[in-house]
Amino acid sequence: MLTSLKTSRRELLRAAGVGALAIGAPAIIRPAAAADTLKIGVLVADSGPAALFGPAQRAAAEFGAATVNAKGGLLGRQVEIVFADAGAPPAEVAKSAVKLMLSDKVELIFGSHDSAVRQGVENVVKGKIPYVYTPCFEGDDCSSNVYFLGETPEQQLQKALPKIVELAHGKTFYLIGDDYVWARTTNEKAKKYIADLGGTVVAEDYYPFGAPNKFETSVAKIKSAKPAIVLETLVGGDNVNFNRTFADFNLSDDIVRLSCLLEENTLAGIGKDASKNLYSSFGYFADIDLPQNKAFIAELAKKYGDKAPQQCTISKGLYDAFVFAAAAAAKAKSLDAGKFGAAVEGLTFDTPSGPMTVKHRHTDKNIFLARCDGTKFTIVDTFSAVPTQQACS
Amino acid sequence: MASFLVRNGLILVVLVLVPVFVGEFWAYQLGLYFLYALAAMGVGLAWGQAGILPLGQGMFVALAAYLAAYGLLGFGSSPLAYLIIPAACIAVALFGFAFAVTIFRGRSEQGPSFSLITLALTLAAFQVATTWSSVTGGFNGLRNISGLPGLDGFLDLYYLIAVVLALAIAAVDYLVRAPIGALWRAVADNERRLAFLGYDVAALKAAAFAVACGLAGLAGALYAPQQNLVTPDLAGFAFSGDLVIFAAAGGRTAVLGPAIGAIVVGALSAELRDRFPWWEIVIALFFIVVVLRLPAGLMTLFARLKRLSIARSPAPRPSRAPDKPRIAAPLSVAFDEVRVRMGDVTILDGLSVRTGDEAVLCVIGPNGAGKTSALNVMTGALPKRGGRIVIDGVDVPRPRPAAVARSGVGRKFQTPSVFQKLTIDENLAIALWAGRWRGLDLLRPSLFGWTTPLLDEMRRRFGFLRSGAKPASDLSHGERQILELTMALVTEPRLLLLDEPCAGLSHEETAAVIDAIQWARHELNLRIIIIEHDMELVRRLADRVVVLHQGRFLADGSVEEVQGNPDVRAVYVGGSR
Amino acid sequence: MESLVVTQAINVAYEVLILAALVLGLAVVMGLLNVLNIAHGEFVMLGSYTAYLVQKAGLPYLAAVPAAAVVCGAIGVVVERFLIRPLRYDPFETLLATWGLGLLLRKLVELGFGRGYRSVDIPISGSINIFGEAYPTYRLVLMVVSAVVLVALFVWYLRAPTGARIRAMVGNPVLAEAVGIRTRQLARNTFVAGTAWAGVAGVMIAPLTPVEPFMGLTLIVNSFFALVVGGMGTVTGLFAGSAIIGGLQSVLTAAVSPTTAYLAMLVLSILFLWQRPRGLFPRP
Repeated sequence: MLTSLKTSRRELLRAAGVGALAIGAPAIIRPAAAADTLKIGVLVADSGPAALFGPAQRAAAEFGAATVNAKGGLLGRQVEIVFADAGAPPAEVAKSAVKLMLSDKVELIFGSHDSAVRQGVENVVKGKIPYVYTPCFEGDDCSSNVYFLGETPEQQLQKALPKIVELAHGKTFYLIGDDYVWARTTNEKAKKYIADLGGTVVAEDYYPFGAPNKFETSVAKIKSAKPAIVLETLVGGDNVNFNRTFADFNLSDDIVRLSCLLEENTLAGIGKDASKNLYSSFGYFADIDLPQNKAFIAELAKKYGDKAPQQCTISKGLYDAFVFAAAAAAKAKSLDAGKFGAAVEGLTFDTPSGPMTVKHRHTDKNIFLARCDGTKFTIVDTFSAVPTQQACS
Repeated sequence: MASFLVRNGLILVVLVLVPVFVGEFWAYQLGLYFLYALAAMGVGLAWGQAGILPLGQGMFVALAAYLAAYGLLGFGSSPLAYLIIPAACIAVALFGFAFAVTIFRGRSEQGPSFSLITLALTLAAFQVATTWSSVTGGFNGLRNISGLPGLDGFLDLYYLIAVVLALAIAAVDYLVRAPIGALWRAVADNERRLAFLGYDVAALKAAAFAVACGLAGLAGALYAPQQNLVTPDLAGFAFSGDLVIFAAAGGRTAVLGPAIGAIVVGALSAELRDRFPWWEIVIALFFIVVVLRLPAGLMTLFARLKRLSIARSPAPRPSRAPDKPRIAAPLSVAFDEVRVRMGDVTILDGLSVRTGDEAVLCVIGPNGAGKTSALNVMTGALPKRGGRIVIDGVDVPRPRPAAVARSGVGRKFQTPSVFQKLTIDENLAIALWAGRWRGLDLLRPSLFGWTTPLLDEMRRRFGFLRSGAKPASDLSHGERQILELTMALVTEPRLLLLDEPCAGLSHEETAAVIDAIQWARHELNLRIIIIEHDMELVRRLADRVVVLHQGRFLADGSVEEVQGNPDVRAVYVGGSR
Repeated sequence: MESLVVTQAINVAYEVLILAALVLGLAVVMGLLNVLNIAHGEFVMLGSYTAYLVQKAGLPYLAAVPAAAVVCGAIGVVVERFLIRPLRYDPFETLLATWGLGLLLRKLVELGFGRGYRSVDIPISGSINIFGEAYPTYRLVLMVVSAVVLVALFVWYLRAPTGARIRAMVGNPVLAEAVGIRTRQLARNTFVAGTAWAGVAGVMIAPLTPVEPFMGLTLIVNSFFALVVGGMGTVTGLFAGSAIIGGLQSVLTAAVSPTTAYLAMLVLSILFLWQRPRGLFPRP
């Protein structure tokens, strides 16, 4: 009750802020927080290409905060979220992070955004407070006091690839991705696993990132090369576009597709006619049949009703961040960088996708291989406690 | 000069004192907007002054940022690291100049092509930066770039950025007031007129663009140590677009406009972004309203400030302009079988004609005879398809307006062509500087005080030329004719081309103009070619008359001879030959 | 191998014709009126959303064509009246205003539909054999539609009196007004025709592309370059530009790599803009 009152007051002030009076005014006039609340800065995509996750990210984070608060809070203090838009370029988001630290005095930052933005934020946070990065990413970052809850390419691929080879009855791969670091890194790792499986890569296509791409050409090449499996590292609109083109050319009956960035929203765009024999490997799907997840989805439905935004692994990670931070703080009894960092190693906490265990500031977790049936995911295999292969000390 | 120092000193003091009033976070945030402001001022200078809209300035910011990033990685904590900032700025400015002069050279066409080239370039740069991971760090960027030595806190770099911004504002303020600033505005206003005065328009435009790139370079070079991270976003179209938006919203023609646009729009988006999910709708509406209601941008609202920043310096003391090196003899021209076609239409059909001993040559002929086209092809405004044009004894295969003007040809167009948006004094000064400025003269405000005996005499003859602060657009048609004639005369040409110089003039004005032309002809030992329909004028001025018909030479001789020529009579009375 | 060549050849033709269909509306607005409508892609986006709604309502897909033309045409009328005309059709002023308009339209659609992808079912499924290669029927239909529209437009523009009026207005607005052409109405109708066609193009491509509020942003880039390379204001130029930009990108994507193809397209555009700033077949 106390929280909701405070929230509504905040909303009011926000609304007033739009009235131009507060715009451009220094931070002094912002509502002073009650001394006992613990503020957490949460970076979500309100704008930019990832903005379709924004509402779900906010919902997951708010629910995460409510869950922590219901259990007595973090370090005995009620938590309060300060959202900031992470859909802008790195410099803008870094600026928001500075504001979170200097003006809002947040004691933790959680973020769900791309890696370029993460590096921008890391540069201003400088390890002063714990920073929890939640979405899947390419790995290879050990900045101090940063914790990674998302899937790495190794997690997505090491168990899923053998299974997909089995399902496809073939070991020839065609790799197609966007021409940037996440796709390239993922494919480098994939090639190692493919070699271990005795498979071959028949061709690799990389499409310019953010350019107006069309995929008829690659689809024609795939049709001619006849691989057993197409491994996709395309993102967003390109992913939708490619998969629709692929199905239009009637290839979905014979060739299995495994996408490394396919969640519920993208699948809705691909549509029911284009999703046959399409698979996704992720640490979470909204339809997984775990009691934790049933409760998670039911609670969100209770709160938002029909308008509940579609959850996916990218948004749900922010809920995990609250659970993780509460568990880690309880163990460390502090948010101090040294103590917090030391306490997290080996920590296990429960999330809607099952337990996660912190190893080297990353998390071993369940990975699900899901088949698309229409615009829904059906889990075909679950791999438990898959390691990340990352080694941050 | 004093007001210049006071004004810019004030700006510097304000910028440096800002953190005291707004606190650490706002100072940090403003530091970033100041970098945007630097780049946006470049856009404002190129677009608002010289009329070139750059749609890809982000690429130059990115280029400087990557250069500075490598510099900082190399120099580490050595104080030499500070040299990276001017070095990156100069490198990017030189690159911008070379690029722009290559594109502009030989092209006088206005329009969106240069803008679209810069757009394509920045799209390509974004792609290269995203893909070329070994050099740029790819999509995630170059990270762990060290800061400048001794500047660690959120605030430290602010002061450096504030000082750089204040210096940049002062520099732009100086440039737009200097002769080169007047020339940039003249480019935007009437590129053709400038070229026909003998100016290298491509170099002038490239210079404006180079300054814009230099400012983008400063922004980029400071961005690297401020962010400790350089990502391809800087080269993305969105950022380049933002810079244009800043300039447009703030006011592209005012010195401070783009900077104010960057700070206001930047702060507005930053404040709305985290408070109000639909903030972009507010920004869009705000922007549409600015474009519709405040064409001169937010600076319209800051009219007082604008007066501060744009106030014209007091008129400089008059001084005698340096003499133009000049051959005393008139300049000769010969056409030999010259052909010109436009699409399917033959304009000049093997025209052969040459100047002789006469001082004033009048060209007559019915409409469509090719009179104006003959002047156009000779001055490079029309391409020829065949034949030879010999100017001053030299065969000129491809005449160019500026080169022809520099060889001593002055031209007055049929419809008066002056710099409408500039003042009378600026119009005259620009004509006067042509061929007289040397070295760094175009940076010296004292050039506005230049005058010559010829100009003094013209001012004496035509009183309206003395109210020099009046914009040329306020002049009557006749006054504009006279202004343009004066501009052509003060370049002290050896050949003056006049296309119906008295059209639209009153009786008194016509008399005064003819008198002035006669006077200048003797004063300058000048050859004049006049296209004229008014036979009364021809009779009073011409030493020799040439008649053209259907793109060919028809007849020549004295007025009487020509009037008695049966071919000419046939043409004029109607019916063809 | 040979079958691949056949498919790729059809792909090139497809890419060229689809690009031409997208460029067409822009060519009308930018080529004839000199209005740099940056929000053109947003009109295509609105057409695609109209198609989505029509399909969702269970109506035949063809019904989306008039629906999108009406929706985008109506918005075009409003935009012309309150944005373009007050700015006197000035190229750079309208460029700025339509930048704001594009942002506004994107966010308004986001407000109504959310940011997520909408999938529009392909109205004509299956494929047809061409030279022994199966090619999706819907794409072939689009190619035919685009080709027919281009040819029809070419003929119409040459013969019909409206074509002559537009050419007269563009060539000399003052004179056109003097001989009794109502330039204001004609300019408005031309602008609205451009936006309405953008809507139709949106209907055409909706089943083939992710339908989302930002789809117009990337669509517009190639169209701009195709237009300037081809030359503004002529149907021949429109087709030549689409053929060069679309064709080059398609061929190089197949032969080298998509990133190289994209960069080559940009470099080629730069060369054309530099050496032939008025394009290959400009309006005389």
